[in-house]
Amino acid sequence: MKRDDGLLTKKFDKLLIVNRGEIAVRILRACHELGIKTVAVYSDADRKAPHVRFADEAYHIGPPPARDSYLRIDKLLDVAKRSGAQAVHPGYGFLAERAEFAQACVDAGIVFVGPPAHAIKVMGDKQEARETVKAAGVPIVPGTEPGLNDTEMQAAADQMGYPVLVKAAAGGGGKGMRPVYQAEDLPDAIAGARREALAAFGDDVVYLEKMITDARHIEIQLLADAHGNVIYLGERECSLQRRHQKLIEEAPSFVVDEGLRRRMGEVAVAAAEAVNYVNAGTIEFLVDRDKNFYFLEMNTRLQVEHPVTELVTGIDIAQEQLRIARGRRLRFKQKDIKIRGWAIECRINAEDPYNNYLPSTGTISTMRLPTGPGVRVDTGVFRGYEITPYYDSMISKLICFGETRGEAVLRMRRALEEYRITGVKTNIPFHQHMMESHRFLTGNFDTKFVEERFSMSDREADQEMEAAVLATLMAHHHNMQASQIIAPAGASSESGSAWRWYNRWQRLRR
Amino acid sequence: MKYYTKVNDKEYIIEIGPDNEIVVNDEKYSIDFQYLATGGMVSLLLNNRSLEAVVDEYDDHWEVLAEGELYNVFVQDERAFRLAQARGTTLDTGHETGVKAPMPGVIIRTLVDVGDVVERNEKVVILESMKMENELRAPREGVVTAVNVSAGASVEKGQVLIVIGDRE
Repeated sequence: MKRDDGLLTKKFDKLLIVNRGEIAVRILRACHELGIKTVAVYSDADRKAPHVRFADEAYHIGPPPARDSYLRIDKLLDVAKRSGAQAVHPGYGFLAERAEFAQACVDAGIVFVGPPAHAIKVMGDKQEARETVKAAGVPIVPGTEPGLNDTEMQAAADQMGYPVLVKAAAGGGGKGMRPVYQAEDLPDAIAGARREALAAFGDDVVYLEKMITDARHIEIQLLADAHGNVIYLGERECSLQRRHQKLIEEAPSFVVDEGLRRRMGEVAVAAAEAVNYVNAGTIEFLVDRDKNFYFLEMNTRLQVEHPVTELVTGIDIAQEQLRIARGRRLRFKQKDIKIRGWAIECRINAEDPYNNYLPSTGTISTMRLPTGPGVRVDTGVFRGYEITPYYDSMISKLICFGETRGEAVLRMRRALEEYRITGVKTNIPFHQHMMESHRFLTGNFDTKFVEERFSMSDREADQEMEAAVLATLMAHHHNMQASQIIAPAGASSESGSAWRWYNRWQRLRR
Repeated sequence: MKYYTKVNDKEYIIEIGPDNEIVVNDEKYSIDFQYLATGGMVSLLLNNRSLEAVVDEYDDHWEVLAEGELYNVFVQDERAFRLAQARGTTLDTGHETGVKAPMPGVIIRTLVDVGDVVERNEKVVILESMKMENELRAPREGVVTAVNVSAGASVEKGQVLIVIGDRE
């Protein structure tokens, strides 16, 4: 089937994955389970990466920087042609939400495993997305049109109620953005925002948006086929973020009950239908304390955190994506979707929680993955893999399932303690602290929690003596080794107690 | 062999003796210490209590990561301890500490000058790397004794950007 808005569905048996890392591996697995042949691409940095080794075929596409490899539409389409792949899966990031790439695939007669180009384009433009879903009856954060004068904005602010945000129409990155808590501060804030916006973007047009305080970030997973069927697979709670990067996601959400789930789900379906959406997609909402919810944006792709939904619904979302792209009808109706149990995902990043979350590069010298009941690890790295500055710092996702939230948390604690990665710093200790945080355990958190109220030093460090012993034993070991190297041959060992201990220890190591 | 070891301002005198035995602050423990893999992963049975940890060596201290908690440990053997005592310093972190680039990148700006007094965790340099602006913070309080880079400079991993010395 081919549609005017850039949708092409047809049967395919060989698929090109234009991505890397854990998501490329995830898609490879779905393909192999469905009997679809796979083609991978790799930059100079990724020759030894698992996605290359797991794939049936792999093609080199250039140097490590993404703009010279994973973002090169021409090279990727050339690989599709040379390998005979009839479909392309973009994963997330890179080209996943670039309408021109989706269109280029379809123009080349290749199935793009994702929505039609038109839907990507509309949802990718903030203003257009807002207007489109608003027309479909989806609640959006109340705000004004850009371009009102100061008096009109004051009237609008009074009407929607404080606090409000003054935002630059041409804005981004927080520039020209000002929170205002009371009416008397508004004129100064508008003037300041205009100045800042003019300096940053050469345009002093501003608008107002109601500020949602104590907001949670909750999103609805959707599946839509090419035959007009759209269903929702429940919600994911994604409030635990740092600098707008999600760190922990769970399904279901602590604050969503059956009624709210249905209302949010139906609204999400309406938003997707407004752009004739097809394939997997996600509607992100802000949810306030009174459980009012507002459309934030639509992610027109498979998301990092999709596994938590897979675990509580039993639906393999990556496989469903492939079926939908092959033109099949959804196998499920809304009434078939049941949420069972609880799933939590921790994103394992190469960054140091003890040093302001700085990214860490280096070679992974040891890696022991957690296993056992209820534990899933999606990863694209291995022992000996070098974490480079070219790609993002997420190296793995650890997902745990339990019948209840409490069980899932206990399982996550156990799995985090089993997980060992050395050679680079990871944020595993951050997650271990979070899994013991009172606010996390009681579900009492919002999108500001990690940045404003969470601390790595809240927990009592109760193994100081053990740490002292461990470091001392290592130091002793080094001393002995150094001494041994400079000692003349044959003159070693039985002279002192420490030597005897060391020899015994050496024997144990063999 | 005797060691003077400090963690979070607590001092331990640790004597490593014969026959898998150690004495920590006059208390005797049986130990079995095993090196598991490269990268500092070790296993210790301490009076049969099983502990697994990652132990990393740095210029002047050790980092022990155990059960999600990171410990900075300063270890001196008896001789080093006596020498330090003779010099009038004991188990401290040394006199000068470098703020190093944790990864290659470009300096966006430096936030301190030579002579500035800085607190621990104060922001001192903004480094752009991995498409993010990263704040590098002072690892200790003290006085800035050198600023080796300026805005726009490309730096290598491990390069010393700023040096912090003792306050007079």
